[in-house]
Amino acid sequence: MAFVPGQPVTAVVQRVEIQKLCQGDHLILGFSIGGGMDQDPVQNPYSEDKTDKGIYVTRVTPNGPAEKAGLMMGDKIMQVNGWDMTMVTHDQARKRLTKKKEDVVRLLVTRKSLEDAVKHSMSGYPKH
Amino acid sequence: MEGYGETSDTDSGIILHSGSDSPTVTTKDVTTHTRAMKLKHQSLQDSLQLCVLELKKLCIREAELTGKLSADYPLAPGEAPPKVRRRIGASFQLDEQSIPRGPKGSPLTLVDAELALQLKIYEAARRLCREEHQNKAVRRSRLQQCKREEKRVKELQESAFQLRLQHGRSSPLPAFSIPFREHGHSDDSSLSDSPVVDEDVHPPPPSSGPACRDQNQLPQTFPVSSPSTADSAILSSPFTPRRAGSPGLDSMLSFCSNPESEAPPIQPSPWTESSLDQPFQKTKKSRSSTKSTASSPASSQVLPPLEACLGNPSLPQQLSQLQLSDRLANGTPPTPELRLHRNLSLRISNPETPPEERSRGHYGPPETMRGYPPYHYGPQENSEDSHSEHSFSTRSGSVCQEQQGEFPRARHLQHPGPTGGPGPHAFQGPALYQSPRYQSGPSFNPGHYPGDVAYALDLVRGYHGPRAPSNRRDCMYVEVPGPAMMAPRRAPQEVRLSRSPSLWEPQRYRSNGPPRQLVDDHLKSWHHRNQFREPRPRSLDRQGAVRVKTVPDWMSPLTHNQRYQEQVLKSRVQQQRLVDDGPGRWFGEDSKAVSLV
Repeated sequence: MAFVPGQPVTAVVQRVEIQKLCQGDHLILGFSIGGGMDQDPVQNPYSEDKTDKGIYVTRVTPNGPAEKAGLMMGDKIMQVNGWDMTMVTHDQARKRLTKKKEDVVRLLVTRKSLEDAVKHSMSGYPKH
Repeated sequence: MEGYGETSDTDSGIILHSGSDSPTVTTKDVTTHTRAMKLKHQSLQDSLQLCVLELKKLCIREAELTGKLSADYPLAPGEAPPKVRRRIGASFQLDEQSIPRGPKGSPLTLVDAELALQLKIYEAARRLCREEHQNKAVRRSRLQQCKREEKRVKELQESAFQLRLQHGRSSPLPAFSIPFREHGHSDDSSLSDSPVVDEDVHPPPPSSGPACRDQNQLPQTFPVSSPSTADSAILSSPFTPRRAGSPGLDSMLSFCSNPESEAPPIQPSPWTESSLDQPFQKTKKSRSSTKSTASSPASSQVLPPLEACLGNPSLPQQLSQLQLSDRLANGTPPTPELRLHRNLSLRISNPETPPEERSRGHYGPPETMRGYPPYHYGPQENSEDSHSEHSFSTRSGSVCQEQQGEFPRARHLQHPGPTGGPGPHAFQGPALYQSPRYQSGPSFNPGHYPGDVAYALDLVRGYHGPRAPSNRRDCMYVEVPGPAMMAPRRAPQEVRLSRSPSLWEPQRYRSNGPPRQLVDDHLKSWHHRNQFREPRPRSLDRQGAVRVKTVPDWMSPLTHNQRYQEQVLKSRVQQQRLVDDGPGRWFGEDSKAVSLV
């Protein structure tokens, strides 16, 4: 998931469409994010590459909208509704995700297991 | 006829379709065609065989992972389904809290490490226990295994507990194993039902067993049942266990992680998380409350709330910038419209300013700007990406470039030192924008510093007189436009205050620049002077006339350098304008990646 600035990013991504849940007067997404350009990436427990300043899913509420949509803890959010999330600050990501007028957020997320699955299928199957 | 047949030999397909009405041709062709068909059939069968083999491999692999042979497994008649041995090894992912930290080799650490692993083993055993479709013998043995593991967990917990008592609970994770003891053998029901990725969103109250358990036993233990985690064995990241400390984790508390305590100069804020279940506005409110406390003169040491929230506590000094564009040397008589324009072009952005006033000078998307402290999203971000002088040069430099070339008196000053305490010095707070030539440190000439400060302050005072001095602590942006004929061309929104420091270049800002002591001295001397100056009319021009003294300094070679940079930057303006249209986007510049979607 690491990338060189200026170089295209290659990542296996999954589409996750989260239908926000109306709770009281605000919409909830059912997950938490961490990271961003303004945060210390070294402390990110989810990233493989400790220089990765991306936005990561830190928690997913059980039975929350995000979990229902298939979001998993540790996912790295690449895009939100088409907006890049790999080079944003924490607040920008929050803002993008918690827009009040949007009921649905469509995420592109990547996670290690996805990459592994793809790698696996590409490299053939080990003999057993 | 023979010729026809010869053709059919070479090109049977065409014959088959075109000559089908002719019986002789058909019979003649059937033999060759069946031969071709047979060959095709053979090759198809071969590939089918390959596919079946591949499917078998897939099914076996699936069975190894899931333990069940898929129904899709292609069984030849009479062929027995293969016996699949499942669960080849196991790796356990320890959650961060379980990873013992502290002095290596201490008995407590060892026990903790063992306990962390044992917890996983126990959990694995329990899952094995409740697995269905196993025969009785297997079940019984698994049950026994599970009990054994549980017993071992308890022993380890006990010893860890004892060790902790001995150590006076000085361990980094004092309460780790204790809550777990309570529920480690309580109800077995909920755990295995928990999906692979559930993690408790709520902060664990110390008394709530399930919450603690969910955190202590991260259910990502089974590479076998969930192949996704198979490769990640142990997560050993230095993640600070925030949950343990902060009571309101998913609230903004974690977001605004108390900045005063962790205030290393210019570093990225600690890695925090924020729940998206909270409306974004709420955080802003909490910020503004912090803001209000910060704005009181008594607490001028308190950093601006935005940086507080971003955890970037050392930024505000660099955020602040003061820019002067002194054009007095050209001797243009002051004209009323020029003054008016100065009014317009003066921007002070500080946390105390109401948001609408702050955002007045920006033409970023309003929704991005609203309510934001001087940290600007949107188009202004380009100034973060590039060197800080761009923020000036692309604005004023683009418009008044000729004038500045002629009378290079634009001054950028910056002092990155922390703001001083409360006092009569109005300028303690605001940091001065540092021009590129000063960023190289040694070339900074303190000789003309005080004068510029005085000038800037007079400007500020002239237009923001009623404001309390402490209000100006953050940012100032003073811009004096070019000649009067230039003034109409400049829309007020051209003048923007940007957060000057580059996020990527913290070091430079920290290390270079006048030391705080120096700045304070200057401030004092300014204050001293200013008292003398007080009775004078606060006309910009008059004060500027005073400043003529320092002109020779400004004509230094460095000025030319700056001029050059401004020219270069001018060419960037168009590009940046383009960027400005994008809602909330910004360009990274130079080596930074461009975040366009």
